[in-house]
Amino acid sequence: MKKIMAQAMKEFRLFRRDKLLILLAVLMPIVLMLLAGITGSLRLRNVALLVYDYDNTPLSRTYLETYGAALTFRIVPRRAAESPERALASWRGRAVLIIPQNFERDFRRGVEPTVQLMIDATDSNSATALGNYADSLNTAFAVQSGVIVPPEKGVNLQQRYWYNPGLSDRVYFGTGGLGLMLIIFPALLGALTTAKEYETGTIIQAYASSLRAVQWILGKALLYVVIGLVEFVLCFALGLLVFEFRFPSDPSVLLVATVFYLFAGVFFGMMCGNATGNQSAAIQAVQMGSFLLSLLLSGYLISVRNIPVQIRWISYFLPATHYIQIVRNSILRNAGWSTSLMPMVLLITLSFSFFALNAIQMRKMQFKG
Amino acid sequence: MPAFIRRYLALLAKEVQQLRRNRVLVIQLMLPPTIVLIIFGYALNPKVRDLRVGVVDESVTTESRDLIDALTRNVNFNVTHLYTRVEDAEKALKSLDLDLFMVIPTDFSRTLGRGRMADVQVVIDAVDANTAQIAKGYLEMALQQYNVASISGARAPTSDLRRQIILVSAAHPAPLPGAPDVEAAYLYNPGLVTSWHYVTGVMSIIMFINASLVASALAVKEKETGTIEQLLMTPAQTGEMLFAKASPVFVLMMVVLFLSLLVGMLVFGLPVRGDLWLFALAGALAALAGIGIGIMVATVSKSQQQAQLLTFFVNPPLTLLSGATSPLENMPELFQKLSYIDPLRYMVTIIRGVTLKDAPWSALWPNLLALTAFSIILFSFSAWRFRKQ
Repeated sequence: MKKIMAQAMKEFRLFRRDKLLILLAVLMPIVLMLLAGITGSLRLRNVALLVYDYDNTPLSRTYLETYGAALTFRIVPRRAAESPERALASWRGRAVLIIPQNFERDFRRGVEPTVQLMIDATDSNSATALGNYADSLNTAFAVQSGVIVPPEKGVNLQQRYWYNPGLSDRVYFGTGGLGLMLIIFPALLGALTTAKEYETGTIIQAYASSLRAVQWILGKALLYVVIGLVEFVLCFALGLLVFEFRFPSDPSVLLVATVFYLFAGVFFGMMCGNATGNQSAAIQAVQMGSFLLSLLLSGYLISVRNIPVQIRWISYFLPATHYIQIVRNSILRNAGWSTSLMPMVLLITLSFSFFALNAIQMRKMQFKG
Repeated sequence: MPAFIRRYLALLAKEVQQLRRNRVLVIQLMLPPTIVLIIFGYALNPKVRDLRVGVVDESVTTESRDLIDALTRNVNFNVTHLYTRVEDAEKALKSLDLDLFMVIPTDFSRTLGRGRMADVQVVIDAVDANTAQIAKGYLEMALQQYNVASISGARAPTSDLRRQIILVSAAHPAPLPGAPDVEAAYLYNPGLVTSWHYVTGVMSIIMFINASLVASALAVKEKETGTIEQLLMTPAQTGEMLFAKASPVFVLMMVVLFLSLLVGMLVFGLPVRGDLWLFALAGALAALAGIGIGIMVATVSKSQQQAQLLTFFVNPPLTLLSGATSPLENMPELFQKLSYIDPLRYMVTIIRGVTLKDAPWSALWPNLLALTAFSIILFSFSAWRFRKQ
């Protein structure tokens, strides 16, 4: 224990000397979490819609009003002589609505007029959502103008949204962002410090010293876990301020998970550092292994269940998957130990596996004696 | 041969020699486009499928079973559990065994029998607001279909089938009779292939991030090992030095660009509808801008550790604000404005414009101009910083 502390103190003295590093380690997670939480939203708003109204009657204008009133669409002026195709190809709008001649006449006669909606489908998800949304606006218009009488008899849907009645994305991306930040930076710091020992050759001293591999690893990791805890507190405060976080009534689950998660991150980073022995390669490895994979496959952006089966198994090897689950359980669902037990077990298993891998890597090289 | 070219060539030879020995770096550059692109392309598919649904049937009548049947047949739902008590369903939702549950009340079939609207209640786990909304949309469509089909008695098996097929492909409800029919045309991507959007976005991100990471690593290394002093003592001008440093990275980045395009085309069937030279030009400009950022970061920092952390600090905001992964319109006004000072934004626009849209020149040139301006500014600024050392 004493040796571990000594190693941690040595790390701390090295770390303290680098002012920029301290600043970055503390500041970066907050800035990034803010950005990631706010820009991550997939809900469409203010989509530029170009309108070609060839009917130009009171009814066609009323029809347009339903689109104008919707938050999803923002009607933008079109250029007089420009074809819809060209306007879309030039990014003047994301969709074009074409109302044909005789729209009102057909409508009054009970013939269903066809309105064309051209959607820029380079982003296929937004395109699908827009198509669906236009459909529902359409139905709303028909109900409003009295063409459709809602059936007297039938089944009516009454929905309740649990845990997030306002359907805000912020909480979702904020909690995911918290998980992302806490894996990236500890892993990065762990990778850098380990790789640096190899680059400067001071790793030989560790091999030759009386420190055991386990003590060396734990001592190094300890400092970065503590830094990670500071980051956690800051990010959580940001979450309370900006991302509508709620304080869990039983914070013990979250705290225990955070500690193991930070260890997992640092151990993973050290593993990368050990394996590459080169700072820039170690960073790249961390960027691939923890940042990109966690960004994509941990359930930060899309839930794990929607990931194709062929690569879904990767998710289970990412600490972030389990941690984000626990964070959402605690902060949003206010659930206790029983709900989070499974992810917790997996998270702890992963941290120990990373630790064991580190120990094996180190032991191989340490001098016997 | 003029002296500056000779000096440049000599420096270039040195850089190439150094790079050749640095296998790790070359692997670093070549690996991401292949692996990351493939994972990204396959993984990022925010379509919602197989929602786990529980049903609490308090009515237990023919009508309620009909409704459950309709839900079961819907591809979007996976009716996993039937409960008799609401408490059990609530517990299952709390322990994350369900995504939503529906309660069919006791008076369900009686109300229907009287010819009135019967309510069913749905409780959705809305932690993921997006999924919750989509789930509600699916349910509404399913109920509408059920209302039209089974209750009004106008059941036509063929039209029912058609509706179900449409539900799978684009989640479109059939219009109610009498309402204007919206005929949606999906331009540039009629098959609604999700991967195209992400692959083009990630392609641009890789160009930018890798260029900056590698350039900063190379530039800072001279500083760390102290060989920068030797370089500064030579008759070579800073501009020559910078160009010599940037050239091999630049060439490698262009290889990466076409490698990722190849992966996109072969694995995901990405079309290239516009001019390839525009694609290459945009890539070249983005690589230059990336290298510029990398060198700039290197001049500010004292160690590789700092440089790498700083690039890590600079790159994610650029990525997030570029619109490569999530649409720009969704962001708050301020962030949309900020995106104009993100060179990556223009790169993404041009790459998508060239590959997917075959956008007209009149729409492309402002983006190209902006990207050029950014590359020149970033590169000359980094040269200036470099000289100040």
